[in-house]
Order: sequence, then C-alpha cells, then structure tokens
Amino acid sequence: MANVAKKVSWSGRDRDDDEDGRVGETTPLLNGTGPGAAGSGRQLTPSSFLRIGQLSNVDLNEDIRELETEVPRQRPNEIPHNEKLLSLKYESLDYDNSENQLFLEEERRINHAAFRTVEIKRWVICAMIGILTGLVACFIDIVVENLAGLKYRLVKDNIDKFTAKGGLSFSLLLWATLNASVVMVGSVIVAFIEPVAAGSGIPQIKCYLNGVKIPHVVRLKTLVIKVCGVILSVVGGLAVGKEGPMIHSGSVIAAGISQGRSTSLKRDFKIFEYFRRDTEKRDFVSAGAAAGVSAAFGAPVGGVLFSLEEGASFWNQFLTWRIFFASMISTFTLNSVLSVYHGNAWDLSSPGLINFGRFDSEKMEYTIQEIPIFIFMGVVGGILGALFNALNYWLTMFRIRYIHRPCLQVVEAMLVAAVTATVGFVMIYCSRDCQPLQGSSVAYPLQLFCADGEYNSMATAFFNTPEKSVVNLFHDPPGSYNPMTLGMFTVMYFFLACWTYGLTVSAGVFIPSLLIGAAWGRLFGISLSYLTKSSIWADPGKYALMGAAAQLGGIVRMTLSLTVIMMEATGNVTYGFPIMLVLMTAKIVGDYFVEGLYDMHIQLQSVPFLHWEAPVTSHSLTAREVMSTPVTCLRRIERVGTVVDILSDTSSNHNGFPVVESNPDTTQAGWVPLGRGCSWGGPTRAGCSGDPHTRCLLQVAGLRGLILRSQLIVLLKHKVFVERTNLSLVQRRLKLKDFRDAYPRFPPIQSIHVSQDERECMIDLSEFMNPSPYTVPQEASLPRVFKLFRALGLRHLVVVDNRNEVVGMVTRKDLARYRLGKEGLEELSLAQT
Amino acid sequence: WAPLPAPALALALLGLAAAAGPRQTPALELAQELAEELWSAGLPGDLPELEPECRSLLAAFAEGSAALTDCLARRARPVRLCQGCHGHYRRLLAQYNSIARAVGNSSESHNCAKSILTSDRLHIVVTLSEFFNETWEAANCANCLKNNSEGLSNSTEEFLDLFNKSLTCFEHNLQGQGIDLSPNNYTEVCKNCNETYMKLNDLYNHLQRLNRQGGESAHSAHLCIDVEDAMNITRKLWSRTFNCSLPCSDTVPVIAVSSFILFLPIVFYLSSFLHSKQKKRILILPKRIQSNANLVNIQEKYS
Repeated sequence: MANVAKKVSWSGRDRDDDEDGRVGETTPLLNGTGPGAAGSGRQLTPSSFLRIGQLSNVDLNEDIRELETEVPRQRPNEIPHNEKLLSLKYESLDYDNSENQLFLEEERRINHAAFRTVEIKRWVICAMIGILTGLVACFIDIVVENLAGLKYRLVKDNIDKFTAKGGLSFSLLLWATLNASVVMVGSVIVAFIEPVAAGSGIPQIKCYLNGVKIPHVVRLKTLVIKVCGVILSVVGGLAVGKEGPMIHSGSVIAAGISQGRSTSLKRDFKIFEYFRRDTEKRDFVSAGAAAGVSAAFGAPVGGVLFSLEEGASFWNQFLTWRIFFASMISTFTLNSVLSVYHGNAWDLSSPGLINFGRFDSEKMEYTIQEIPIFIFMGVVGGILGALFNALNYWLTMFRIRYIHRPCLQVVEAMLVAAVTATVGFVMIYCSRDCQPLQGSSVAYPLQLFCADGEYNSMATAFFNTPEKSVVNLFHDPPGSYNPMTLGMFTVMYFFLACWTYGLTVSAGVFIPSLLIGAAWGRLFGISLSYLTKSSIWADPGKYALMGAAAQLGGIVRMTLSLTVIMMEATGNVTYGFPIMLVLMTAKIVGDYFVEGLYDMHIQLQSVPFLHWEAPVTSHSLTAREVMSTPVTCLRRIERVGTVVDILSDTSSNHNGFPVVESNPDTTQAGWVPLGRGCSWGGPTRAGCSGDPHTRCLLQVAGLRGLILRSQLIVLLKHKVFVERTNLSLVQRRLKLKDFRDAYPRFPPIQSIHVSQDERECMIDLSEFMNPSPYTVPQEASLPRVFKLFRALGLRHLVVVDNRNEVVGMVTRKDLARYRLGKEGLEELSLAQT
Repeated sequence: WAPLPAPALALALLGLAAAAGPRQTPALELAQELAEELWSAGLPGDLPELEPECRSLLAAFAEGSAALTDCLARRARPVRLCQGCHGHYRRLLAQYNSIARAVGNSSESHNCAKSILTSDRLHIVVTLSEFFNETWEAANCANCLKNNSEGLSNSTEEFLDLFNKSLTCFEHNLQGQGIDLSPNNYTEVCKNCNETYMKLNDLYNHLQRLNRQGGESAHSAHLCIDVEDAMNITRKLWSRTFNCSLPCSDTVPVIAVSSFILFLPIVFYLSSFLHSKQKKRILILPKRIQSNANLVNIQEKYS
C-alpha cells in the first residue's frame, strides 16, 4: 500500500546523496512523485510525504522535533549501545552452493566412485571429530581435577592450620588471592588474545548454525584459548561450569578437521579439500556441536537434538545419522579414556564430564500425585530463571557500555573471583551446620569449628568444584544439609552465578544453573517432607534433580534437547516425563517475563539472528519495503577498474553483486549520469541507482547471475582478464580448487595490486557467477521472503520486477531487523560496532 | 538324581543326617531327633544317604557358625568384631571351603558340595556363609588384620594402644575432679590429655590417608570398624562431652578482610561508571526505499 511514500522517500534520498543533503526535500519530492503517484491510487499530502521520507533516516521518537525544524540529516549518529541494534560486523555464511560453470565442470570430471570416497571421507571426519572432542573433554576434566584438587588441598591445609592457631583471615586472603590470580590468567588470555572465546560459546555456535559468520569463532586459536580459559576459570573457583564451552570446542574441532588444514598454524595437509566451503563446514560444525554436548553430558542423543534444535533448517537424514555417529564416538572416547585414567579400564562408567549419578533406587521413584508438585517447581524455576536473566541483562548492558577496555574486564573478573572466595569463606565460617563424616563422600571435608569427626556442611557446597557440588546435592542421603544452609547457599550462589556470567572468561552457565536449582529443589524436598510428615516419597535428591531441571530450563529455555540431555545424564528414562513437564512450565513461565539467556546475549551482541518465523504481524510488509536499494550491480563483462573501485569502497562493504546485462541500446553508454539516467524510467532507477560517479552503471538491466566478493577477489588475484586470456597470458583456466584454497580467509582487496593498465582491462564474470540466484518479486510478503531465506540458508536474495530487472537485494540484516517487541513490530537500526 | 519333589528331598537329607556317627553335636542331635520322627512316621529307609564325611563337615560348619554368631553379637557394642572374632571367622571360612571342595568317595552324585550346598531351594549353608562374608566385608576387618588374617596388624595394635592410653588419661583426669562434673570443669581433661588425643587423632588420619592411597575401590576407603568406632567414641567424648574442640576465634579480622574485599567491586563499578567513557555506537544509514516509514505505517494500521 505504501508504494507512493516509498518511492518518494527513495528518490529523496538519492537526491540527498547527490547533493550532500544540503538541499531541502522539496525538489526531489516533486520530481519523484510523478510516476509513483500515477502508479498508485493513494494520495498523500506533501507534508506527510516529507515526514515519512525523513523518518526513513532517523530514530522515531528523538527526531520528530528536528524534522519539524527543517534540519534534515542532522541527527546524532552516535548512540549508546542498546539491544535494538544490528551490528555490521556480522555477515552471513554462504550456505547456498554457487552452481557456476566451474562447479558443473568439476562435477562432470569427478566420477561416481569419487563421490563415494567423498561420502566415506565425511564419515571419517565425523569419527575424528568425535574422538578429538572426547579427548579434549578428557584433557579438560583431568587437568581441572588435578589443579582444583591441588588448590583445595592447599587451602584446606592452610585453614586447618590456622583454625588451631588463630588467624583465619590469612586463609581467607590466601584463598581469595589464589582464585583471583588464577582467574586473572584465564581472563587475560581471553581479553587480550581472543575475546570471542569469552562466555559459554553456545550463543556463538547458535549464531553460526543459524548462518551468521562470527569472526574468529571457529579458529584453532579460539579453541586453545577456550580450553585453557575454561580450565583456569573453573580452577579459579568461579561459579561456572566446563560443559557449555565443550560445545564450542567441539565445533572448532569440527571446523578445523573438516578443512584438513589450519590457517593459524599455516599448515595445509592437502586433505579434505572438497569440504572447503561454508556449506560443508557448517554441516561438520553441527556435528562438532553435537559431539561437544555428548561429551559434556554423556548425552549422545541430546547432542544430536541440540544441533537439530539450533540448526534445523539445514538438515537431512544422512546428516543426522552422521552427527549421531560423531556424538556416540565422542562420548565413547571420553568414557574409555576416563575409565583408564580412573584405573578401571573396562568399566566405562563416566560417559560425560558431568555425571548425575544413578537415580534408580526405590526412593527415587516418583508417583502420579507428585506431578503437580513438579509442575509447581517448574513455575518457580521459570520465575527464578527470568529474574536471573533480567539481572544479567542489566549487568551485561552495563558491561558493554562501560567495561569495554580489556584491562577493566580482567580487573572485573579478578574481583568476582576474589568475592566468590570471600563469600564462600564467610558462609562457611558463619555456618554452624556440622555433619558427621561418612566414608569418603566429601572430597575436601573442612572441619573448621565443628567437632572432630564432623565436617562443615556448607563447605561441601562452596568448597568444591560446582560439578561435585551438584552431584552431592542429588545424592547425599537425606539430612546431610540443613535447610538454613541450603537457603543461604541458594541465595548467594544465585547472585554469584548471575554476576559471573558475561565476564570475560570462558565459562558455561549450565552447571551453576543446575547447582542453584539443585539447592532450592533439595530445600523444597526437605520442606515437603516436613510438611507431609511422611518421608516415603520425599527423597530430597529427586526434588533436587527437578529443581535443577527447572532452573536450567528457566534460564536457557531450551526444550527438546535439554529434556533429552537431562534424561540421558540421569540415565533414567522414567524421569523423562516429569523433566519434560518441568522444562515446559519453566519455559512458558519464563518467556512471559523475559527471553532466554542465550537469545538475550545474541541480541545484546547485535547479531542478525533469524528466528524460526518472521514476526507474526508482518504480512503487510513486502519485499519492496524490506529490501536494500540501490544495489551495486556489475555487468557480465565488467571493467577491472570498476570492480576494484566497488570492492574497495569502504562505505558499501557488500558481499554479493548481482550480475546484470544491459540492453543493447544502452551498453555503449556505460556511464550514464544519474540525473539523466534515473529520471529516465520508473523501475530502472530503482534497479541501479546511487552515486552516479561510481556506481550507476546501466539502465535496463536484466538479472543474469550473482557473484560474491570472495570470487571477485580470487579473480582479481589471478588476473583473469579478457585481454590476458586473449593474449594467452593465463597459463591455465581457473578451477574451483583455486577458490577453495583461498577459503575461508580471502585476502582483503587492499592487498591486491592492480596496475593502471590492468584497470582498463575487462573481466568476464559469466563462468564464475552463480547463474541461477534465488529471486523474489517485489510484492512478496516479508514472511514469504523470510521463509525462503531461512529455509535455504541464503545470503543474498535478489528482488526483481516483472522484467527480471534488479530492484533491490534482501540480506540477513534486512530480515533480522524486524522484531516483535512489546509494542508490536519493531525495527532495529544498523550500527557500527 | 531323579527329580524328587522338594519336601521329599528335605526328608531324605534329614534322614541321612539321622544316621550320624558317634560324634554328636547339639545340631546333629536336633537333626537326628527330626529324622527319628520321620522314621517313626513310616518313611522308607532306602533313601540315598549323606555320606558320613559330609555329615561331619556339615556339623562342623553348624558349630562354627553358631560360635561366630555368638561372638559377633556379643561384641556388637562397643564394636570389637575384628579383634575378637577373626579366629572364628577364619575357621568358618576354612570349614566352608572344605565343604565346597570335598568330594565324596564314590559316584559324583554323592559329592558333598553338591548335596550340602545345592540340592535344595534354600541353600541354607551358602546363605549363611554369604551373610558372614558380607558382614566381614562391610566391617572391613581385613583392613586391620595382618595379610594372612592371623592377628591384628601392627598399625592397628599401635592405634588401640594409644586409644587405651587416652581412655585411661580421660579416666585419670576425671577422677581428680570429683563426681559433680559441670560442663565447664572439663578444662583439666582438655589440657592434660590433649597430647595423647592429638597423637591418636593424627595416627587415625594418617591411617586413613594411607588407606585411601592404597585402595581404589569404595570399600577400602573405610578403616576397619573397630578402629573407626574407637575413634568415634573418643571424638564424641572429646568434642561433645568434654567440649574440648576449638572455639570460634578471630571473627574481627575475618570480618574486616572480607568486608574490604566485598567493598572492592563497588569501588570498581562506581569508578568505571564515572570515569570510563561510555561506548557509543555509530548508526549506519540503511540503503532502503523507506525505512521506518514502514513501521509508522504498520503502527498506524495496528493502532
């Protein structure tokens, strides 16, 4: 419906570009109104035109006033970071295969048998992903166990010594300094070497599987930093887990192996060259993520479902089967290596980094009348999870705005570590909850002021790695904790975990969430058995498990995969039903308040993330309104200088260029000044306009194909120019291999030298472009465009008119900016970050 | 065997037991009595016999188990199982083994192991022996016995020695105090016996550590029940009755140090809020026919 307004504003903008915005809007308005108004029946007053046209440039609420004072284009373009931004930093992956002539040739050359070896290679890669992920998990586990053991023994001996002699404040200082210094190292490597390794990595992998290229996310360096960072932050006693980062590690391993080389190490093993493109890499990354989940929780099916939940639009049966294979191999590797390490080689009793232990005693069974209680726990988990997320939201916002310098980030992490130790110490010091020692169930029993032969029960929760604390809460016999201890622990740990997530350290949120949930769940179970006076079905361990599920569900809001992960981690299928109910309730209740932690962080990072569906109220938007225009187009046979200029233009850092072919009558024109050319026909202007001096290349331009920046760069690098070919200066024809060799780090255009003579050469794109790009007509609705884009994993979607002329281009950022907010449909703005 | 019905089999066994040799024990007497009852009920006498050797083995086992049960029950509190009953246990084990290994003189069917251990549904001998074994394992007695299970190991002897010493020390000091012991009057005990008690405690911890390093499985994490129990009793006396455990000291420095550390983040956040330059994002103009105008339209439509 808004055709008129659109056209007007567009031409107004053009004029602005043209004249640097100093001229008022009246002239272009009048110029532009002609064809548009004639085309559409709707009439608007000039003033409303004006308003709408200017609104296109500015933020809604701030600038109305400014508009009225007739100062166009003088809006502030610097704003504080907020969640309604899309960063330019992120680009899409090229999931769509470019079926150009080179590709067809290669396919013709490779015979059937060769494709079979490709298939076998895929399986081999999956097996290697599984094995390596398992080994990395083992490495992390063993190192953490030993280092943490060392630290706790040191502190325990110190505490024991000073309890007798007096001067416990020294122990406190020792503990705090130890924690802070270990965390400092962990934080320094993350903050200064590879910031993308911060956090759990699940949001980043979610984005990657969604089709967003996060810079550096699957590099070897990231893996190294991630692994070391996780070890250091867990050993540093932060309220974090090592499970979430396993997913990221698995993905990096997958991406690395499938390429058969490492650009960080500058080693090329000359294997798996076929897989050097985004399509294949992303499939393997999903296998790696699954293998990571599987190693972390001993949940192979959960891992597969995790990948399915996060990257499901690019899925097929064979891929699923391969991913399952990788998952299984991963958990089996971890299991066998850890069994050997623990000394019972054929036992295979530790399938995951965290093992919830067995839940099969009779007391652990549940009855039907308990199900409402579980659902109630789900509600509590949802509310607490929402609270956690809301607090973390504010904190993260503050961090992005004010604590953005690496040194500050390191200091913050150190402070959190010191405070975590202090809080733990004070809690232990103040607690008078002593429990008798029973065998060796407590790893580091702290006696402190308890009677001999007893230990401080608060210390089992605080003075331990979080994984062990979780298992203790699940399995310690009833009566091991008194309610006061649990209550205090829940409250303190809740705030500590919330404060910790988002620091510049590699660390996951799974285990802290489970721990918080297990603590209040156990408290809940204990109070239930007080209330009912019948301890038959009130084993606190069972409620601890449900509480853990509820809390985790309330924070991360995963559904299917989390249910299966929890089910597999407990090893008890009958728990599937209550866990599912708990997670469902937690999600429903939590979503009512605030979204999940991972989605929240994705949004705060301004990532153009595409959800499953377009916003529900967006059917009235058409491709015309969504698309970016004008589009920078290239001709099928293009001058090298033009290509270089376009690529080096920093203001329009485009990655895909429609290749068009001019009509015969305008080809020789070449450069048509915008003023004449664009007022020359309605649709043509939309097709290729913009800055007349560099970009407006042709008038009536039928779409012939699409070419990517990376391809152009390879072409320029190899100097595949028409003149050189004619003079047979080019030794050989370019093959697909040349493009793969440059993948994934194509050199920037600045590094390619093109001499003045070469600038005058021509370049023939016809055999390199993708001759059949996906297109949509201008009238297609946003949900329709969205579906096509999301389901096919596109990067560029060309909008054409009914004469197959390029009108605009839809990219990820054009779609991701529409979001359903609190007051209906919102639009995010683009920003440089 | 022909598949005899179970009651008939039991009768047969009892009947065989009745024809025991001259060495008569109470258990055998009982068996004989029962058998005689059955005989008098007119059962046929040509049932297969339990061989005399087997019968004597069974009898010995019965005696041994009775003695062990007696010993275990008598030494249940305070726990002295391992010290007192290891001889009984060892003997019973030997008897069971001789039953299990013994082979009757003639055909295979008269094998003692088979006829005593497996020929009925109840397997009473096996059950009994399993019970004893499990109890012994749970008590973890092997831990404080010598490797050949003959007598207590040196470390255990040492421990028990110290234990007796500290008990005498307690007694000694309490006697000096008179009879009316109010809780505050134990300071003497705490002072005088501290050395012995500490030695005992250290030795126990040392043993525990040794044990934990030596064994991998969950069972051997425990010391043997005698030692554990002795230590528990002493500790309870020491900490609960005499109230000698450490007082909660130096609260002030702990509070000072912790409040200092807790104060640091507040300073940090405040200073970074006040002094750090807020990060600004540069907005980029989208190249679009119409940007927010669409939104305006939509909002108009929906409002």
